Amino acid sequence: MRPLSMPRYCIAMLGFIIQRLLQSAGVMLAMSALVFVGVYAIGNPIDVLISPDATQDIREDTIRRYGLDLPLWQQYFAFLGRLLSGDFGRSFVFDIPVLELVLARLPATLELALASVLIGAFIGIPLGIYAGYRPDAVSSRAIMAVSVLGFSVPTFWVGLLLILTFAVNLGWLPAGDRGPLVEVFGIGWSFLSLEGLSYLVLPALNLSLFKLAMMIRLARAGTREIMLTDTVKFARAAGLSEFTILRRHVLRLISIPLVTVFGLEFASTLAFAVVTETIFSWPGVGKLIIDSITSLDRPVMVAYLVLVAFFFVVINLVVDLSYALLDPRLRRGGRAA
Amino acid sequence: MSALLEVRDLRTHFFTRAGVVRAVEGVSFSLARGEILGLVGESGSGKSVTGFSLIGLVDPPGRIVSGSIRFDGQELVGLAQGDMRKLRGKRIAMVFQDPAATLNPVLTIGQQMALAVRAHGGAGEAAARDLAARTLTRVGIPDAAARLDAYPHEFSGGMRQRVAIATALLHGPDLIIADEPTTALDVSIQAQILAEMQKLARETGTALVWISHDLATVSSLADRLLVMYAGRIVESGRVGEVLRDPRHHYTRGLLDSLPATALPGEKLNQIPGTTPSLLSLPPGCPFAPRCPRADAVCATDPPDVAMGDRLFRCHHPLGLAA
Repeated sequence: MRPLSMPRYCIAMLGFIIQRLLQSAGVMLAMSALVFVGVYAIGNPIDVLISPDATQDIREDTIRRYGLDLPLWQQYFAFLGRLLSGDFGRSFVFDIPVLELVLARLPATLELALASVLIGAFIGIPLGIYAGYRPDAVSSRAIMAVSVLGFSVPTFWVGLLLILTFAVNLGWLPAGDRGPLVEVFGIGWSFLSLEGLSYLVLPALNLSLFKLAMMIRLARAGTREIMLTDTVKFARAAGLSEFTILRRHVLRLISIPLVTVFGLEFASTLAFAVVTETIFSWPGVGKLIIDSITSLDRPVMVAYLVLVAFFFVVINLVVDLSYALLDPRLRRGGRAA
Repeated sequence: MSALLEVRDLRTHFFTRAGVVRAVEGVSFSLARGEILGLVGESGSGKSVTGFSLIGLVDPPGRIVSGSIRFDGQELVGLAQGDMRKLRGKRIAMVFQDPAATLNPVLTIGQQMALAVRAHGGAGEAAARDLAARTLTRVGIPDAAARLDAYPHEFSGGMRQRVAIATALLHGPDLIIADEPTTALDVSIQAQILAEMQKLARETGTALVWISHDLATVSSLADRLLVMYAGRIVESGRVGEVLRDPRHHYTRGLLDSLPATALPGEKLNQIPGTTPSLLSLPPGCPFAPRCPRADAVCATDPPDVAMGDRLFRCHHPLGLAA
């Protein structure tokens, strides 16, 4: 069995990417239809949009202007056509383009989600590997207790506790908001200044707790399994230190489930950081969607949900591609391993 | 010349929930430099555990409870883990049964071998790769430098085992413990690997402990034979003598059950019964329940009888006028 030559490997990879992109387009189309119909069913935005004392003329004029007098399928295709040209419509409430509205909030959620997933991974994976390496140690049991807490204690409660402890009682960290922003390419970020970072710490920690627990569990289970294999025994017989075995052999072998969960958690945090964003008054997209639901701001809801689907599709694609980087057996261009 | 390895009354037990499994129960043997020792027995006879005891890799709940392993004058039983690690790979190496399971599937051959090189001394990455390539060439892998960047799944089973053997050879160890290294391979590849190992051991003066359940394989390779049964050595001696003139009934049974000894069309011989559970060994000779010659005396522990360099453990040895 010769390894695939480089050009053949690239072609196989390209084929895989094209196939996945087509699949993704299908998923996006289905999502857009589901979301549009779903949101359409929620309620009639006219009642919210038009003041009750408006004249019949104004009412009809407004309905026509938003295209709400057309049948559902016509509205959907008009929406789809605009979507493909990058036009997500205008917010009923703010009367500005939805894309602008969402993009203005997105960086806040992006940095919050990324920070929380990174904290979860960088703390959770080493702890999990340790707990899997020495399953009977007292410290390992303590780590597992932390992970049980991380799974079972509700986020909002931990968030409130964090605020109470670090913001109110100790006064070390701010209780909410994003703090000063540093502009890069016209987008403001909190994490680029030390003060901005202090605003990011508590909400990111709050969000990371669940991911931390998850990473600990996964890393522990993987490590326990790998430690019993002949690969580890053989590495030991070659005189490798335990640390080298964990860092070079075990970490690589358990990385696929870790990367999968990392991607999924990142996507879902991006989409549903609502609770934490609300508690810490973090001006992200999570708060935007809640506000738009209460005001029945249909274009914002639709655009947001389509965007969320897009995130999931993109992140999953990246995760799939990283499998091939992590496990050479998956690089054989579709042949079974 | 003093022996490279002196094992005295080694006992390795496993403390399981069901009770104490006496996997190795009073094993003694010695090994000269460059000597090839065949360690034979059925599954569960304690031969692999003996091998793992030598290199200090008995997995919990097992541990060496007593006895002595002197390697080149140094006592290994009770040696600190850190000191043991310095010996592993450097002076005592090991090759396992299934190369598909021992090599890490997600690291290249070069990466894995470089880790083994750099576990002992600060060779640079380039020097480590160079040594890896030269060692791969020695075990008969063509175009070794280019194959360093290949992954284990890109090699055949025999080639993978050659990689594992090369990894064991990297530091020119004094002793290699080979735990059934040809069992998972095709018969034709087996013969190649056997010849290769024998040649390498002769060239480098490396002593080999070759663990196998396959008497035929071992006898073509080894200088001396140890036959293990239920955690004990029941017979040992030079290969030719043991094969020609076995003293223990268990060895006789093993020889008779080799397919080559049966006539065509005839049923293959086998030893009646199964290996006893090490949890509840009856007192006396553990082979007695399966032995054609067993009588009342066999309920007492048989003595170790040494005759020249032959040793056996039987009340009723074969081939000696009683």
